[in-house]
Amino acid sequence: MPEKLVVGTLGSRVPTTGQARRKRRGPSFELRMMLPALLVLALITVVPFLMLIAMSFAKVRLLGGVSLSVNGLENWANVLTDAATWHSWGVTLEFFVLAVGMEMIVGTVLALILNSLRRGQSVAFSLVLLPMFLAPITVGLLGNFLLDPTIGLYAWVMQSLHLVGPGQSVLGSQSTAMLAVATLDMWEWAPLVALIVLAGLTSVSPSVLEAASVDGAGYLRTLFSIVIPTILPVLLVALLVRSMDAVRYYDIVHITTGGGPANSTWVISLQLNEKIQATSIDGVTTLIGQSAVIGITMLAFTVIIANLFVRVLDRRGLTR
Amino acid sequence: MSNNIMTAPRTRRAANILAVIAILWSVIPLAWMLLTAFKPQSAIRTSTPDLSFAPTLVNFQNLFSGGNSIGPFIVNSVIVSIVSTLIAVGLGVVGGYGLCHWKSRGKKDVAFWIISTRMAPIAAVIVPLFVMFRQVGLIDNLLGLIIAYLTFNLPFAIWLMSAFFAEVPPSLQEAAQIDGCTKWQAFRMVVVPTTVPGIIATSVLCLVFSWNDYAFASSFAGPSSQTLPMTAGSLITQTGVDWGQLCAVGLITVLPMIIVGLAVRKHLATGLSMGAVTGE
Repeated sequence: MPEKLVVGTLGSRVPTTGQARRKRRGPSFELRMMLPALLVLALITVVPFLMLIAMSFAKVRLLGGVSLSVNGLENWANVLTDAATWHSWGVTLEFFVLAVGMEMIVGTVLALILNSLRRGQSVAFSLVLLPMFLAPITVGLLGNFLLDPTIGLYAWVMQSLHLVGPGQSVLGSQSTAMLAVATLDMWEWAPLVALIVLAGLTSVSPSVLEAASVDGAGYLRTLFSIVIPTILPVLLVALLVRSMDAVRYYDIVHITTGGGPANSTWVISLQLNEKIQATSIDGVTTLIGQSAVIGITMLAFTVIIANLFVRVLDRRGLTR
Repeated sequence: MSNNIMTAPRTRRAANILAVIAILWSVIPLAWMLLTAFKPQSAIRTSTPDLSFAPTLVNFQNLFSGGNSIGPFIVNSVIVSIVSTLIAVGLGVVGGYGLCHWKSRGKKDVAFWIISTRMAPIAAVIVPLFVMFRQVGLIDNLLGLIIAYLTFNLPFAIWLMSAFFAEVPPSLQEAAQIDGCTKWQAFRMVVVPTTVPGIIATSVLCLVFSWNDYAFASSFAGPSSQTLPMTAGSLITQTGVDWGQLCAVGLITVLPMIIVGLAVRKHLATGLSMGAVTGE
């Protein structure tokens, strides 16, 4: 494929008329437009992906230049028979259901509330969206600060309401740590769900709502038999977008509980990260191969979500 | 809003009260961060919240003074985010247009590849990049971070720009071609100018993603390439956390993102749903 020519043609804008071009053999105009981006993307994603697969079947040495020596299925066997792997997938699943579930519910409720405002909708909406712009690491740090049992604002509120005992740390006790971490994630991302749902709510037909109201349907009845069914595709999009992020990010868990207490928030990315950290300490006998295996299993999850996403878009005619 | 579900005055009042609660839920932690950033140490370490304090700039002064000044880290963050955004959006605008109009059986596969790249868990991407960067000396190097951020910004920019280009009526480009433009000229002089809001929205989101990254930075960056979120992260591991400074860093980190983010609010729904939903 004449890549250089492609770039050159684009760069120097050699005038070719559409018809002359169409008669010529070779990549179409659209493909040539895509090539530079796709080549760079391939370089920074396909190469690492192949590397990841290679490493999962090898012992990786980092000292004195990277070298791989094939060790067959050893990494896979080690990871798949390690109870810690399955524990962390279980924790990930728990976090996933809890965080994404709360985000969907709270986000939808936020959208319904904002949608019903007659005045000040724009300002209210902007304020509700603010948490989304924080770095997840900052959200984690704020969580640490607000939930600190001695000086935290929210810890003080909860202690005053006798929701938690004096000096008891929400992030530090095994029964509440997961809920606290998931709530922090929800605080940041429920506004994103609200944003997407709100866009969907504008497509609910006013005349249908009017008819429902004339027929004497109450609020909840209208909500569940008209509004929710109408915005179902949009809810699905929000669910998929949040699903991919719930596995993508780990900053909040990393900085708040670090996986504890007693590994109750030890999500899969922490399990992977630990193997890399162990590697950077000794540098020779490495666990990188094992972390590659975990990485591949995480990617498999991503591929499923991406597949569903593209299908949803396809059904709505959006991938054209 | 003509399609309100709640119309009775009583439900409307309830909605207003709920809206206030929703706003407080979102804003209180941020407001608390803002206040704490201007508090002296003595007003932070209190068991009951202290609102009657004398505002001080001491936390900010501490951040910018001495050998640990965060000034260079801000510069690093700015360079890395902006360069990565410019490359991603530059390639994404051209590539996205190609993807949008490309008619081929392979299109679905390419689209799928792009979207799954964007969704890939950062932890999984770190493993091979870590090994490769070590090999070629890109650890603790701004270029390394720029490349790392491209792994999520580039597929995002291609995908989203493709969605924005799909909104442009095809007749526009056809008219330009009838007037004698080549496809490339029609793209550059007719289509791109009409998509400027989309390009800006894409840029802002790429900027936010890379600015807020912690996972890549904490794996690949070192003393000479430290970014702002890393600064915040490293302040907490030491014994005796300085919450005043932490809140000040948090504030410095989030303010620019809030400003640019709200500036493109109209396109946020489209952008953050990867073009699956069209906003207001």
